Amino acid sequence: MQLTGSHTLAAPIEKVWQMLMDTDILAKIVPGVSRLEKTGENEFEAISEIKLGPVSGKFSGGLTLSDIVEPSTFTLNVSQNSKIGNADASIKINLLALDAQQTEISFEGEAKLSGLLARTGQRVLSGVANTLTKQFFTNFEEEIAS
Amino acid sequence: MSNKYIGKAVKRVEDKRFITGKGKYTDDMILPRQTYAYIIRSPYAHAQVKSIDISQALATEGVVAVFTGDDIAQSGINGVPAGWQVNFKNGDIMKEPPHPLLVGTGSTVKHVGDAVAVVIAESKEIAADAAELVEIDYEVFDAVVNPVEAVKEGAPLVHESAPNNIAFDWEIGNPKAEVDEAIANSHHVTSLEFVNQRMVPNPIEPRSAIGHYESSSDRYTLYTSTQNPHLIRLLMCAFVLGIPEHKVRVVGPDVGGGFGSKIFHYTEEALVTWCSKQIERPVKWTSERSEAFITDAHGRDHVTHAEMGFDKDGNVTALRIKTFANLGAYLSTFAPAVPTYLHGTLLQGLYTTPKIHLDMTCAFTHTNAVDAYRGAGRPEATYLLERLMDLAAHEMGVDPVELRLKNFIPPFDGVNQPGYQTQVALQYDSGNYHEVLRRGVAMLGYEEFRKAQAEAAQSNKLLGVGFSTYIEACGIAPSAVVGALGARAGLYEVGQVRVQPTGKVSVYTGAHSHGQGHETTFAQVVADKLGIPLEDVEIHHGDTETVAFGMGTYGSRSLAVGGSAIVKSLEKIIEKGAKIAAHKLEANEEDLTFADGKYTVNGTDKSVAFGDIALTAYVPHNYPAGLEPGLDFSSFYDPANFTYPYGCHIAVVEVDKETGKVSLKRFIAVDDVGNVINPMIVDGQIHGGLAQGIGQALLEGAIFDENGQLINGSYMDYCMPRADDLPMFELDRTETPCPHNPLGVKGAGEAGCIGSTPAVVNAVLDALWSGGFGHVKDILMPTTPERVWRAMNS
Repeated sequence: MQLTGSHTLAAPIEKVWQMLMDTDILAKIVPGVSRLEKTGENEFEAISEIKLGPVSGKFSGGLTLSDIVEPSTFTLNVSQNSKIGNADASIKINLLALDAQQTEISFEGEAKLSGLLARTGQRVLSGVANTLTKQFFTNFEEEIAS
Repeated sequence: MSNKYIGKAVKRVEDKRFITGKGKYTDDMILPRQTYAYIIRSPYAHAQVKSIDISQALATEGVVAVFTGDDIAQSGINGVPAGWQVNFKNGDIMKEPPHPLLVGTGSTVKHVGDAVAVVIAESKEIAADAAELVEIDYEVFDAVVNPVEAVKEGAPLVHESAPNNIAFDWEIGNPKAEVDEAIANSHHVTSLEFVNQRMVPNPIEPRSAIGHYESSSDRYTLYTSTQNPHLIRLLMCAFVLGIPEHKVRVVGPDVGGGFGSKIFHYTEEALVTWCSKQIERPVKWTSERSEAFITDAHGRDHVTHAEMGFDKDGNVTALRIKTFANLGAYLSTFAPAVPTYLHGTLLQGLYTTPKIHLDMTCAFTHTNAVDAYRGAGRPEATYLLERLMDLAAHEMGVDPVELRLKNFIPPFDGVNQPGYQTQVALQYDSGNYHEVLRRGVAMLGYEEFRKAQAEAAQSNKLLGVGFSTYIEACGIAPSAVVGALGARAGLYEVGQVRVQPTGKVSVYTGAHSHGQGHETTFAQVVADKLGIPLEDVEIHHGDTETVAFGMGTYGSRSLAVGGSAIVKSLEKIIEKGAKIAAHKLEANEEDLTFADGKYTVNGTDKSVAFGDIALTAYVPHNYPAGLEPGLDFSSFYDPANFTYPYGCHIAVVEVDKETGKVSLKRFIAVDDVGNVINPMIVDGQIHGGLAQGIGQALLEGAIFDENGQLINGSYMDYCMPRADDLPMFELDRTETPCPHNPLGVKGAGEAGCIGSTPAVVNAVLDALWSGGFGHVKDILMPTTPERVWRAMNS
């Protein structure tokens, strides 16, 4: 499944970068995450619970960051397992300073799905992914504002 | 004999219970102390099971037991084998790794959905919840899903024992060198590479099975949604679980459709039977729809390169084919027979082609098993021949109807003229192939259509017509023939007729109804043969305890083979009845005539009714000396040959030039299924078959990604045909009796699905050709708007 999108945040690029690299903040803004622990240099363990229509399950697994070029780009590698199937994704994230107070985040990647997740309607899954992305950026904006 | 019912559109007696929701399906049954099984399945197509931790699930309240493949292996159970053996060209036996009931620790799962563990609990919900607590660690490997890729050097191996993933290779027809030469010497050769895509059968009732072991009698009962109870019992007892057959009863109660997918012995049937013994309680498993997509056997899945040669007058000179057939991860019960004996033997079609050669490679892949699906091999053969015919006509600039008429086998009735011996082993029974095509073309109004098409070619809505003619080998099958071809069972049928003392009749047939209407059609035959009311006849099937034996229903065999067995028993009843009647009437047996339900002394008005004879047989106070009491006969009928239904299907489509959307405007089917017992049921069978065949052409098809994940495994993405996708069908039929069975019937269950698919695709291409896209040779099925649009814009 292809994952692409972009969003503009009202914050300077340095601040956006800093927040993305902060485990505590990420745990708050990534939808469904109940635990996010740093297990090594750029390596994390995550547990999350997602309930959206046909996609309902407890996910756990690793997250790693690679190809980090501060403050403009990194690749997020996700390997999450659940009883309804597993998801492996590699997502390249780019930050672009539109001006001193505005930053555009764009992402592009592909998720490999297995099990029931793979068989579930692809149109439904894209909808789930879009909803989760929207929630993420809404949470991000709230975090910036707070 | 009377003529009250045969040939009449008698309403189906079974429909009352189906329509009022009173059908009794396996999942409707609730046995005392019944438990529920949830099967944990691999999310990966190819992975090694490193470890399984069941401790948390076992500790859950309401969980009765959890079993893994290690438990099964300790019982010495290897798994489910195939029911048909096909050998390699060089004589080696096919590769046949058994399908384990559960894949144990250290072993590898071979497809998404391969079973790894089973949780048994007091309720379905508890079992499903506890299954989430089973921890399974997998090491994931690369998978291969395409049969052409699978046999290439270095492809991921499905089974260590099958090098290059080849289950077997196979050939049929004339010597290859002769065919090569005939192709080389042809005036014109039409060549086509195409895919016959994988289909998901989708019966409305998902599979379900209940195993019930009773220690008091050391007996097992298996209730299962099957087309084939006796064969399931034979395979499971003798080849999987090693249980004495007389200790096992298999019941296939009301079954909600099968389309072939419920012929086979599935691992779940053996699993619930085995589990029930372990816990001494009934164990029920019912497939979820999503589970059905990844565990039911699929159909078709061929990749083919075919060439058809013609002389300068348009006569077919030769046919040369190379096909790769995908068999999935394991050999399902009939899987080896489908691409070979049910496909290769039909490549003569209706044509006099003098030289034919098929080279077949059957491959394992990391996908679920592929086996018979409505038509089974014969739709693939028909698709191949009929696509080539329309394409050849287009390339040579001749009319596709004329090209067929020129090449058809001349009419023969199989009585005064001999059967037609093909180049590919079969001998056709009887047929008048020109007649069905001529009738179809007349119904179409061919000349007017071509005029309308020429006008439409100037617009954005192109019109196209596609032709297809087919023949199928049904009434499966002569046991000696299929035995020589590798079948591990005979394919006769059993019919028992028990006349009760009051003259009411109970019939026990080894055929199995899962929607075909046996309870009506068979009763029509019995009622007319005995001259009694239809209501006095009841048809029983699907229970190994009441039916002596049987080979189930598939291959359009029920009436041709099962009906014939019943007729044999009826003949014995009538013959014995005549002895009793002669005694009662004080006449000679030879002077009696049996008609309209009574024995009459010829030339007199002295007669005795069938009911009186029945009562006398059971109350034999005044009775012929030396004659046994009772009126109850059982017969085995083994057919002398296959039966060969045939027909002509014509599709008219409209193609939107801007969007590529195909609309099916008309569909004409002229079928010859031999004599017809119930025309309404035959029409219903044709309708259903057409919907599935048209579904393949326009809408359906399983899609696996490169990791072996079925990505359209739900009705959100797998597009089933619906009523509004289809026009009102225009049906007609000819009736050429089968010369070698007593009813003269040929079988109607698969015809619609065999002929229709190429007619639709040919029509789409004809529309494109008429609109100036003459270079397009093929469009992959299903012919979605995107594919049609790309074909026009490439």
